[in-house]
Amino acid sequence: MTRLSTPAALAELRQQLAAARSAKRQSVAICSSTGCTLNKSNVCSQAIAAELAEKGLEGEVELRRTGCYGFCERGPVVFIQPQNVCYLGVQAKDAAEVVEKTLRKGQVVERLLFKDESGRRYKTLGEIPFYKDQKRVLLQSSALIDPKRIDDYIAIGGYSALAKALFELGPEKVVDWIKRADLRGRGGGGFPAGVKWETTRNAPGDVKYVIVNGDEGDPGAYMDRSLLERNPHSILEGLIIGGYAIGARQGFVYVRQEYPLAVEYMRLALEQAREYGLLGTDILGSGFDFDVAIHRGAGAFVSGESSALMSAIEGRVGQPRPKYIRTSVSGIWEKPSNLNNVETWANVPLIINNGVDWFRSMGTEGSKGTKVFSLVGKVRNTGLVEVPMGITLREMIFNIGGGVLHGRKFKAVQTGGPSGGFLPESHLDLKVDFDELTRAGSMMGSGGMVVMDEDNCMVDAARFYVNFLAHESCGQCVPCREGLRQMLHILDNMVSGKGEEGDIELLEELCEFLEIASLCALGSSAANPVISAIKHFRHEFEAHIRFKQCPALSCPELLHYFIEPDRCPGCQLCRKECPTEAVLGKPKAVHVIDQSKCIKCGNCLRVCPEKFLAVIKVPGAAVGQAASAA
Amino acid sequence: MLSTHPQPSHSARVDVIVIDDEDSIREGCRQTLEREGYCALVATDGVEGLDLVKHARPRVVLLDLRMPGISGVEVLEKLPGIDPRIIPIIITGYGTIDSAVQTMKLGAFDFLTKPFDMDQLLAVVDRGLRKYEALGSETAVAKPPPVKAPKPSEPDILLKGLETLGQYYSLGLRDQTLAAELRALEAEAQYHSKVLGQIREKEKAIADLVADLRLVDEIIERHGFRKSALIQILLDIQSAKNWLPRHTLLWVWRRLNIPLALIYQIAQFYEAFSLEPQGRHIVQVCTGTACHVQKAPEFLATVSALLGIKEGQTDSRLLFTLKTAHCFGCCALAPVMRIDETYHRNQSLKQLKAIFSSYASEQASHKESEQVRS
Repeated sequence: MTRLSTPAALAELRQQLAAARSAKRQSVAICSSTGCTLNKSNVCSQAIAAELAEKGLEGEVELRRTGCYGFCERGPVVFIQPQNVCYLGVQAKDAAEVVEKTLRKGQVVERLLFKDESGRRYKTLGEIPFYKDQKRVLLQSSALIDPKRIDDYIAIGGYSALAKALFELGPEKVVDWIKRADLRGRGGGGFPAGVKWETTRNAPGDVKYVIVNGDEGDPGAYMDRSLLERNPHSILEGLIIGGYAIGARQGFVYVRQEYPLAVEYMRLALEQAREYGLLGTDILGSGFDFDVAIHRGAGAFVSGESSALMSAIEGRVGQPRPKYIRTSVSGIWEKPSNLNNVETWANVPLIINNGVDWFRSMGTEGSKGTKVFSLVGKVRNTGLVEVPMGITLREMIFNIGGGVLHGRKFKAVQTGGPSGGFLPESHLDLKVDFDELTRAGSMMGSGGMVVMDEDNCMVDAARFYVNFLAHESCGQCVPCREGLRQMLHILDNMVSGKGEEGDIELLEELCEFLEIASLCALGSSAANPVISAIKHFRHEFEAHIRFKQCPALSCPELLHYFIEPDRCPGCQLCRKECPTEAVLGKPKAVHVIDQSKCIKCGNCLRVCPEKFLAVIKVPGAAVGQAASAA
Repeated sequence: MLSTHPQPSHSARVDVIVIDDEDSIREGCRQTLEREGYCALVATDGVEGLDLVKHARPRVVLLDLRMPGISGVEVLEKLPGIDPRIIPIIITGYGTIDSAVQTMKLGAFDFLTKPFDMDQLLAVVDRGLRKYEALGSETAVAKPPPVKAPKPSEPDILLKGLETLGQYYSLGLRDQTLAAELRALEAEAQYHSKVLGQIREKEKAIADLVADLRLVDEIIERHGFRKSALIQILLDIQSAKNWLPRHTLLWVWRRLNIPLALIYQIAQFYEAFSLEPQGRHIVQVCTGTACHVQKAPEFLATVSALLGIKEGQTDSRLLFTLKTAHCFGCCALAPVMRIDETYHRNQSLKQLKAIFSSYASEQASHKESEQVRS
């Protein structure tokens, strides 16, 4: 690799790379992100490579291991150009057919295409309902980029925004553009990034820092991981531009160690950028020096908070501090430090390249641009989706997500993770943007969107978040530490049938107390899941307290499994799936559950064939268990 | 000072021979020793050194391990053949602690790590000479080399005992006496073999410890000795050892001079660290929201039942540790678990059993190969 010392050299390299690419007639892109790897995409890619070698197509077809396409559930995702075919769930055994039919003859392998309920098949990525209603800006051109190769990114225009910022705009104009674009922080709070940049830029002192916050602790969300594993260079480019505009010479990328692939790709990206002179001293001959270090998070939700994250980079415990002075003025080692979320940084090169007006053309009045959500839980098509701000929840869940799984009834959607709230069916036409969600008692958060159906218990869901937060509370301030503990205690009682009258009111009181008195956002927003659950689903809380019953039949201590004797054909399936051998019965004889052995794992219910439906959940504890509990 | 030394011999008797190829050390030692009144001779390599030892019969030999020609270890092995009472002291460079430990097994009395100052040298030589004197006064006759026969195993000792018994028998001793002697010998042999076993265990423990500390040194060096890299350093130790043993934390404290309390605070604050030994394989069931609504608690119950351990526990074979985790970012495939670095979806009980037993059999085959090697 040669060092690029002028923007012209970068442009020349880009032309060369693009020319080299077009020499190969066809390309096969296979997702190698965590989700697809779990579905054995690496085996599949090896099989395709072997098949190509055997057929002598290596010179003609480029095989690329790319980042996430978002449709993780149906992985491994394989994308073939120029035929523009998208195959889902491709396994090693399909390799020969794909190579022979699609690459050699240009035909389509029907059975690997996406199929909806009606049996209709969809050939291209754009046609699939999951993708049709999305607006993929950050997630576009996934198929063209191998996250391990900087050349792929440069070939499609990567680092041109950096050259533009360095040689055409200058730092003031960059800050001005980001401000006018009204780019709001994608990490949760939605604070205008431009304003933050300006504060750090104008803060006194020569030493300043810029930081990528990739400590995606929010359970049920993986936008940042996917962006990091898809194209680390776009984030890096944004960071370098930010460093230039703010006047920093050192950047940090903070990534969770639970994301080993993301850490590895970012490490490679830094190495390659340094070799090209896009990082280090005198970047592209502009005289601007900038370098970046990776810091791995060690698994604490609260460390994603800005002041806590900065303590962690200093090598201290990642605990928040009171922010009388903002971190943008006094952050790492008391120097002005600008921290933005992964997705925010990834937006920066796009704004610089396409202009302010382009960015402002997407979204609503208060929230511009697009947002990546992880649409998960009980929806048919789960995965990562990118939509313009202002799309309704209904459009997201029912059009893109394809509706609730197994045709069950929609109950609620949870947005914003542990700091957000639950939104019931009546809120489905809510427009998704920063302000609307906050008004509805939830929040945007980093973009987690968990759909729940009638089988999910809202008391249990509230307990889930309180349990998570109580566990993650750093323990510095009393309201958060003790308040959450008490709330957890109350909710624990409720889900195990020991709730008492007055508990709901006590919860509400504690929530109010937490909101007012906590040190950081972890505590002050901890009330959201509980308050919104009580507000929209009060009857479920009351049922747990008054009747000791879980209306959704979800809380394990308030139900037991039972095999209906007149429906059980004695097929042995449930007996084989029981990990504790609690199901008794001979072939062709009615099976019985030994309640004293049952751990309520639900495997018997899961495997009982639809034509029998012999295993059922019965409210209340089983007789044997009640006796042993008493 | 001088009066506390064992009397340097004023006869022709040689006190110390220094065998080292490095001029500065060899001559430095000689001068210092002579200044203190010892009779010291020098040799520049192993062959010359052995020759000199044969003729001069010194009391202490200072021996460098790394020399051109025959190595220090070879010289060391030959010394008892010349005079079993000679006290060998090893001079070793930094980073060859391992070989120093090995030489101790071969009968070295002590070792000096370069660079050493002259006070250290005198102290060691002094102790060596005292030891020599002590040996001399215990038995007038030359004893067989102290412990040095290679591995006196239990059968060896018993055989030796039988041989002795044969001699007694030839003297016409009565059977009862023989039986008593035999019992005494057997008891003694068993005692020695037990002690030997304990020493072996200790040696292994020390070797493991040294290896751990060296690993910590490597990690700290990789992070450029920066205090701010503490969390990163601990993460690397955790991933190498699967937990944070106390001695590694103490070593970090010594190397970086970060208060031990702070190190413990961080080690306890973060999920990623464990202060207790964990199983060879870490099974983590994701309990993130997406997994939770897709029956992660039930999945956890199944895994827990299959492994026979509860969350946070390690099984008795130190094979699996069961933990929960807040989201791996595989939400679209919920519920998931991760075993070490590999992700798995929820599957049928048979498949899950197969996954776990594949890890268990891997462990068994690993053990077998270890046994074959030893």
